[in-house]
Amino acid sequence: MTEEPYRWLEAIGNRREYIREQLKGGTPVFALSRPEGVFLVGVGHGQSKVFEIYDRHAFAALGHPVDIEKVRQAAIEAAHMEGFNRSPGDVTLRRLVNFALSPTLKNSFEQIFSPPLMVESIFAEVGETRKEDLLVRVHFDGHHRYERAGVAVAHVKPETEAQARDWLERVLREDDPLPRVFAACLTAYDALVNDKPVSELEPVEPAADGIPDKTIEAALLDRRQGGNVRYRPLEPGTLRG
Amino acid sequence: MNGDFLALLSRSPFPPESSRSPAPVEPLQATTVFAFHCADGVMIAGDHRATAGNIIFSDKTEKILELDSHSLMAIAGAPATAFEMARTLKTSFEYYRRSQLQPMSLSAKLRALSRLLHNNLPATLQGIGVVAPIFAGMDPSAPDGRPAIYFYDPLGAEFEAATYAGSGSGSGSIKSVLHYLEKWGKPPPAQMPLPEAVNFANRLLMTAAEFDTATGGVQPDRQQFATLKLLSRDGIRSIETGDQRQYWEEAPR
Repeated sequence: MTEEPYRWLEAIGNRREYIREQLKGGTPVFALSRPEGVFLVGVGHGQSKVFEIYDRHAFAALGHPVDIEKVRQAAIEAAHMEGFNRSPGDVTLRRLVNFALSPTLKNSFEQIFSPPLMVESIFAEVGETRKEDLLVRVHFDGHHRYERAGVAVAHVKPETEAQARDWLERVLREDDPLPRVFAACLTAYDALVNDKPVSELEPVEPAADGIPDKTIEAALLDRRQGGNVRYRPLEPGTLRG
Repeated sequence: MNGDFLALLSRSPFPPESSRSPAPVEPLQATTVFAFHCADGVMIAGDHRATAGNIIFSDKTEKILELDSHSLMAIAGAPATAFEMARTLKTSFEYYRRSQLQPMSLSAKLRALSRLLHNNLPATLQGIGVVAPIFAGMDPSAPDGRPAIYFYDPLGAEFEAATYAGSGSGSGSIKSVLHYLEKWGKPPPAQMPLPEAVNFANRLLMTAAEFDTATGGVQPDRQQFATLKLLSRDGIRSIETGDQRQYWEEAPR
């Protein structure tokens, strides 16, 4: 049955549709390259969505919590093995995504008789300067796109995801402090989850004191921080200007 | 997943492990290290000398290694094995913290070093890879946590030191002085403020160097000072050469 090409294509199509359907309830995550470092924001239903991966690397994702955990563990394992066997400087996001994570996600997606990994994610690497920052938007089927020194948004709807990314790029200035960046992310979050047209978004206001029944997470891969470990969780209360 | 980096490492060693045979060369040794409680926390110190038999291999060896924000390891013995142990522990602690989303407990860190020493038994028995480290650590999440000193025998047995610990060929003289001052010193080392503790540590290493050729690299007259790190509730502070020089010059003669 699935040995026949057209059946296989049909099965893959069904699988893609199934995953998109399952991901519908997911809420977006954001990563932005800023002068201070790479800033990450996630809003969840209690479970974490923003994670440290390695000295200069972080991960933000939406999807099934078990699958997020699988991808997170795979990334942490690969990064630590590479850092131990070679050196921490040899752990680069490009190698991590190209050779470890993306092929795993693609294989998982195409193994049509096993459960798929339902994860939409962003990986981030902080550089010494903003130009060296790297953001990668990784999809559940292994597809990925690099964003150098920009903005990455992961959401379940590709069209509105792109609109939110463009809006954030447009409204945020180089010298905006992190509270304004945080507020902009929450404004974009509100538009994405409530299906508001991004083009009609209001100018950025100071972030509200939380979102009912939701947990807001923020973190910074801080390029100004001394030492090897750059990841720093941020208390949302400190980002409300 | 249980956050065990050693288990992960054993699945894919790099490079592949090969059987060890006794080395025909004189093994390298790193000496001397010690730690003591002072008024600001735990001072952990080391000289800079590494020897191979009667040869001075290096006078610029760093023997006090930071494993994470609240853990330090001082190495005495075979540097190749000791540095590898420190690197393995450092990665293990970070791997655990990131994968399990909580820091490893102090007890587990102490146990991890015991395991590494125990796994090094064949090299220890052959006499070519003996390591006798000192570990200083604390649990920053414990409200009443305070820095503690632990020392190990080369087979992996762990002991907590109430006041001080020393390891390496020059540690005999140092432990004698520490014992004397803990008992009759005014003030005892545990009550010394930072500048006094820094000068005391440098003087201890100079004393050890008088009696042990394998201890060296500390000569304040030539601007060469010890490796000194202070562990306190705030974390680890390296006492840089400039500060050591200033304390040395301000000390009463």
